[in-house]
Amino acid sequence: MLSIDLDSLPSGPLSMAGLLSIEPAELRRLLKGGLRRGLSTDDLQALLEQEWQSGMDAPPVQALLAALQQRGWFSWEGDRWKTHLG
Amino acid sequence: MAQILAIHSFRGGTGKSNLTANLATALALQGKRVAVIDTDLASPGVHVLFGFTPDPGQPTLNDYLQGDVPIVKCAHEVTPEPVKKAHGHIWLVPASMDSDRIARLLREGYQVEKLNDALFSLSESLHLDLLLIDTHPGINEETLLSTAIADCLLVVMRPDSQDYLGTAVAIEVAERLDVPAIRMVVNKLPQHFDTEQVRERVASSYGVPIGALLPLSEDLLTLASGGLAVLSYPTHPWSEQVRGLASELLDSVL
Repeated sequence: MLSIDLDSLPSGPLSMAGLLSIEPAELRRLLKGGLRRGLSTDDLQALLEQEWQSGMDAPPVQALLAALQQRGWFSWEGDRWKTHLG
Repeated sequence: MAQILAIHSFRGGTGKSNLTANLATALALQGKRVAVIDTDLASPGVHVLFGFTPDPGQPTLNDYLQGDVPIVKCAHEVTPEPVKKAHGHIWLVPASMDSDRIARLLREGYQVEKLNDALFSLSESLHLDLLLIDTHPGINEETLLSTAIADCLLVVMRPDSQDYLGTAVAIEVAERLDVPAIRMVVNKLPQHFDTEQVRERVASSYGVPIGALLPLSEDLLTLASGGLAVLSYPTHPWSEQVRGLASELLDSVL
C-alpha cells in the first residue's frame, strides 16, 4: 500500500542527485520511469499496481501525483507522464 | 527505440573512450546502426578514435545543449569502410573541442533533461539500434542521468586499488537506480597479473557479471588513439575480447 509522507518531500526542482536520494525506492522508480520517453497512462497504471498495488484512482495515488505535479517533478504532457529535472 | 548502453568509469584514464569507440565499431560490424554520443563535455576525446574533428561551424553536442541546433544536425556519420561493407553505420555526436565552448559549458551549465530528450530524438531520426553514451568520469548530474536511462551500464576500471574503491561507488549508484543490466570491464590488465585472480576479486567485490578482462596492450599504446584497434589489429586479444563483449551484449542484454 502507498504510504508516503508527502510533506517530507523536498520542494524545489528535481535534480538527478535528488532523485537518487529519494525514499522510498518505489517513488524513486516511479520518477525514474518518467525519464526516457516517459510513461503512458497504461505504463503508469502498471507501475502503480506493481509498486503499491494501487490504481490511479486511489486517493493516496491521486494525492501523490498532485504533490509531484505541484513540485514540477512529474506531470502529464500531451500523451505521456514525464519526469522533469530542474 | 534504440537500446542505450552507457559506458562509465569512476576515475579517468581507464580507456573508457577507447572501449566505447571500439565497441561501437564491433557492434556496427554486426550490421547495427549505432550512434556514439560524447557526454564527456569537459574533456572530450572519443572523436579522435574515429579520426573526426569538427570543423569550425560544424555542430557539436554543445550547440544542442546550449543552443537551438537540432540534435540530429550534431550527429556526423563516421562509418569506417569495413563497417560499411558489413552494412553497419556509426554516427558520432562529438562534444566541442573549442576551449571557449568548454569553458562556457562549465560556467553556465545546461539543462540535463535536454540530454534525455536528445537521445530519444536521435534514436528516432537515425533509426538507431544502439546508442552508446561515453560519459564523464565520476558522478555528476549527467552521469546519473546516463546511468538512470541506460538499458545496460558498462563500468570500466583498471586493476588498481583506487579504481576498486571508486567503482564500488559507481555500482552502488547504478543499483540504486535499478539499471537493468550492469557489466564490469577491467581494462589495461598487465600481462603478469593473474587473470583468474583479478576475475575473482572483481566478482567478489561487486557481485556484477564481468563483461571482459582486456589486456594492457603495447599495440594499443602504439596506436595511440590514432585508430580503432578492432579494425587495425583485428586478431589482437584485446580486439577479440571487445568483439566477444559486443556479441555477448547483443545476445543477452541488448
